[in-house]
Amino acid sequence: MRFNAVSRPKTPQIDMTPMVDMAFLLVTFFLLATTFKTGEVVGVQMPRSVAGLNLPMTDLLTISVDREGRAYLSMATPQARRAWLQRHGQVNQVAYTEEEYRAFEMLSGFGVPMTQLRALLQTPPEQRKRFRQPGIPIKGDKNELADWVVLARVTIPRLRVAVKADAYTPYKKVEDVINTLTDLNVLRFTLITQPKKMSDDAGY
Amino acid sequence: MLDIDEMPSSNRRRRLGGVKEKPGITTDMNSMVDMAFLLLTFFMLSTTMYRPRGMELVMPVPDDVQTRAQEVQAVKASQALTLMALPDDRLYYYRGLPEASALRASNYNPDGIRAVLKAFVGETDKPVVLIKPHPDCSFQNLVTLLDEMNINRIGRYAIDGISQDELTLLQQLGMPLPPQ
Repeated sequence: MRFNAVSRPKTPQIDMTPMVDMAFLLVTFFLLATTFKTGEVVGVQMPRSVAGLNLPMTDLLTISVDREGRAYLSMATPQARRAWLQRHGQVNQVAYTEEEYRAFEMLSGFGVPMTQLRALLQTPPEQRKRFRQPGIPIKGDKNELADWVVLARVTIPRLRVAVKADAYTPYKKVEDVINTLTDLNVLRFTLITQPKKMSDDAGY
Repeated sequence: MLDIDEMPSSNRRRRLGGVKEKPGITTDMNSMVDMAFLLLTFFMLSTTMYRPRGMELVMPVPDDVQTRAQEVQAVKASQALTLMALPDDRLYYYRGLPEASALRASNYNPDGIRAVLKAFVGETDKPVVLIKPHPDCSFQNLVTLLDEMNINRIGRYAIDGISQDELTLLQQLGMPLPPQ
């Protein structure tokens, strides 16, 4: 038998390795799962509703309508955006450059007439915020919104269209967009809302 | 931080019964754990678990709107409730035909239009609701009304424009007529 003459203070050692493993696993998961918000083209305060079903994250075309009734378009995924612009280039005989395709892929949304699109794409990303986007023309001699929606439907057959209008937008502005859709035989679409509880009052 | 194990390896080997061991170097993982959890927290907080939500809206075929509205008015006058969403969050409704005596004011609160719809659904066989948003009413008003359709499980409803009859009706009642 052997006794230690000097009693050594016992420092408990915890093996951190599994914890580190787990932490990095979770980090990796969140790193991959995160889709960084690419800054929305226009701030919209969505109306509130009790009913609500989740929208898909892909195959989704969102038409945002701000308070003044300006329409903006955003396509869900970069791949879809590229294919969409390719179609647009073919139909309108515009040869977009590779840089412009890349810029369009990174563009979360846009609201410019066709004539200004190239200028918007050529604007450096950091200056794009200051680019005045007047909205996609709906009325007038050419309904460009309709053109874009048609192209999007051709590009993605399973496309779902969502209308994201501001709660304070006058109905007539939303009506223009809805009429554009129904004229194209897009009769089923989604109004994007934010959830509220049943008991809440009508408040915004 | 690297620590050289102070315990002589011969000592340990004896204790562990001759199992072969790695050299007695342990790494202090604490800072790594700190960093990992810092990153974890950052990504957890910055991840938007937000998914867009919305309500489905199915519009009738465009050519059909007129005929359907006429049909509803002609045949189902007794079973029809018309909601008129006017600017400034004003809401009027009437049952049956647009007559001044039938027109009532309501509001968007649960005790307002929801109660009206509930009563209407309760006493009507095949309820039909016509939603008539004024061009200047807010989009929220429309969404609230569509929402009430879901809440009261009214399957048959349509969005339609305010008719001339209804405009004159509002005028007669001295309600400010909003410019078209």
